[in-house]
Amino acid sequence: MFHSRIKRFGLAAAAIAAVSALALTGCSGTSGDSGGGSYDPDEKVTLTFTWWGNDDRADRYGQLIEKFNEEYPNITIEGSFTDFPSYWEKRQTEAAGGGLPDVWQFSDTYLRQYGQPGMLLDLAQVSDYVDTSTFEDALLGTGQLDGTQFSLPTGYSAWSVFQNDDLLGEVGVAPYEGGTSPEEYDDWMKSVTDASGGTVYGGTDVTQRIQNFELLLRQEGGNLFTEDGELGFDEDQLRDFWESGAAVRDGVGVPQSKLEEITPTSGLGAKLTASEMTWSNFLGGYLAETGDATLSMVAPPTTDDSAKDLYRQAGLQMAISKTSKHPEAAAIFLDYVVNSPEAGEIFGTTLGFPASSSKLEGAVLEGADKQVADYLDSVADRIGDAPPVPVVGYGSIEQTFWDLGKSLGLGAISVDDAVTQFFDEADVILAG
Amino acid sequence: MSTESAAVSTATAPTAPRVADSGAPRAASGRPAGASGGTGSGTAGTDAKAGTPRPRKPRRDTLAGYVFLSPWLIGFIGLTAGPMLFSLYLSFTSYNIFSSPEWIGLGNFERMMNDQKFWGSVQITLLYVLVGTPIKLAAALGVAMLLNARNRGTGFFRSAFYAPSLIGASVSIAIVWRAMFSTDGPVDNTLNIFGIDIGGWVGIPALVLPMMILLAVWQFGAPMVIFLAGLKGVPNELYEAASVDGAGPWRKFRSVTLPMLSSVIFFNLLLEMIHAFQIFASAYIIGSGTGGPAGATNYYTVYLYTRAFRDGQLGYASAMAWVLLLAVGVIAFIMFRTSNRWVHYGGDSR
Repeated sequence: MFHSRIKRFGLAAAAIAAVSALALTGCSGTSGDSGGGSYDPDEKVTLTFTWWGNDDRADRYGQLIEKFNEEYPNITIEGSFTDFPSYWEKRQTEAAGGGLPDVWQFSDTYLRQYGQPGMLLDLAQVSDYVDTSTFEDALLGTGQLDGTQFSLPTGYSAWSVFQNDDLLGEVGVAPYEGGTSPEEYDDWMKSVTDASGGTVYGGTDVTQRIQNFELLLRQEGGNLFTEDGELGFDEDQLRDFWESGAAVRDGVGVPQSKLEEITPTSGLGAKLTASEMTWSNFLGGYLAETGDATLSMVAPPTTDDSAKDLYRQAGLQMAISKTSKHPEAAAIFLDYVVNSPEAGEIFGTTLGFPASSSKLEGAVLEGADKQVADYLDSVADRIGDAPPVPVVGYGSIEQTFWDLGKSLGLGAISVDDAVTQFFDEADVILAG
Repeated sequence: MSTESAAVSTATAPTAPRVADSGAPRAASGRPAGASGGTGSGTAGTDAKAGTPRPRKPRRDTLAGYVFLSPWLIGFIGLTAGPMLFSLYLSFTSYNIFSSPEWIGLGNFERMMNDQKFWGSVQITLLYVLVGTPIKLAAALGVAMLLNARNRGTGFFRSAFYAPSLIGASVSIAIVWRAMFSTDGPVDNTLNIFGIDIGGWVGIPALVLPMMILLAVWQFGAPMVIFLAGLKGVPNELYEAASVDGAGPWRKFRSVTLPMLSSVIFFNLLLEMIHAFQIFASAYIIGSGTGGPAGATNYYTVYLYTRAFRDGQLGYASAMAWVLLLAVGVIAFIMFRTSNRWVHYGGDSR
């Protein structure tokens, strides 16, 4: 932890230095000469590669790079990794200073931010080395910006309700069946909280998370953002949504003050709640946090059974920098990560459920991976088109939504004030 | 300046009578080298030779000085002054690192006026500074006086009380603090013994400020050491004289200790106040980097950091940084201006 503080301050200093250096040199962005070449297997090439994640993921990438080198001994991969928040802070300073890695783990949240100013390589330029035929169009779309393919997904996940069957067994309440109306889910949460006498809560106020609001909007045929990058909802809709959480905030869900004490662990992770709504690929993380509790996944509640409100979120992608000196070699490595059966075998569903059919062939689905696969199968009819590419600053908007939701839970702000603050903030972010 | 150029011109044209004339009065005006020289035009020559190294020598010294200073100077200009000026420029722009800064005039400052979150962070920061600093200084002075009253073991206690101020701003202490004030943590359990059951402080917005102030007060060691040094400098005669006049301990404290310490108090107050404005690491850790719960740890610098590095609003963050600098500057200025009413320095007649 102490180390991470040093890193942050060092980063700030580096940012400032990079910024001033940029100003001194007259801000001349280097436009790498890329595309059109071909890969020479005898040439020795070194690629920088970076990702966010934990030791487990680092270990798997290590194995993958080893396998990759058996096939391509002349491409040396220099890998490095950090945690998610500092990952983007670091990329931001590199983008300013011109030192982005050749190949990097990417997220669709940042597609506009890096794609629009031309920092990513158009994968069409290296199409000889990257196979996109293994992806469904809908999944390819998650890495496209205005028709240009900048990144490819390693996998996808879907929104879901997790529940802790061990805790439910202890308090003697049957598991939530999934896919009911939101009111029935609230009632079920109340039954858990009542049955436990306050030691275990049914769940967390779902109106804290923007993903649950998105789900509701999609049930009504909308989305969080329009294709033009404007907000896809108005103040009244948000007000109604936040007000709908009042009952759960009042004694049904876990008190926010308890959640504040355990952050960054969530209620489910800390075994304070019996259920929680989140992305399906978090199963592995929750298993680790709860010490291998028996967790099951069911479909989120919905206001309309026939709506295609869920979608395959391909948050984890791979991209190549425009400035890469070896775009062909980089493309070969990128293809290996997203498409090879070896990647499927090594990673399972830990980079999301494999998006590429060739990668999926290599994956051995058992245990937790099997659970995720079964869940995705079970909600197949509810999966619709992915929403438009997230706006620049979506990360901040998501966090603001969450912060305000937590403040509501603490009773520190009224719903009306929260709505005003959210729209003020969104205005500033969307104005760029 | 004029004498220097005259000296140079004498050196270049020693034979010119007009120049020799101009050199003569200077030789007369008390230059030992010139006075001990020969006569006529030669005087002007020796005068010039003896005189020229004199202005030059300091200049060479100055140059050497700057050479020795250069590592610091390069750091100061390149890493402090340069970025500061650049951030001043950025504060009038909208800048997200990816696109070049776009001039928006006072836009950032206008936005600040209407930013509720900004005013929330100003409010808790001011409360923290205005409530926390006096308590911290009172604790420091109190312990310093206790240490001053006895001699045995002073060294040990001084070090023991000083230690927290060395580690207090660290991330690990912030984590420990968080744990101490959680439900079933030491603080909660202790209060439970006395029948007070409020649970963990960490999750209750109203109790986070007292918790942060306690963390600050716990680090009273640095001002305490300075107070202790100040107390040692108060002459014992004054206390003796006060005793003779029949003054009790409280009277002695008010009429002898406080006035004699006023300069030290002023110094500590100024330093600790500026220090308090800069609270970052502990608030960032205790609030998990989100400023939570409900903005209770969203201190000014934390908010500035999130705007710059989470939201990529470097223009706005730069504007905030400059507002903070000006605000601290104004407060320090006011303190200096009002200080002559209550701060007495040694040799002061009052």
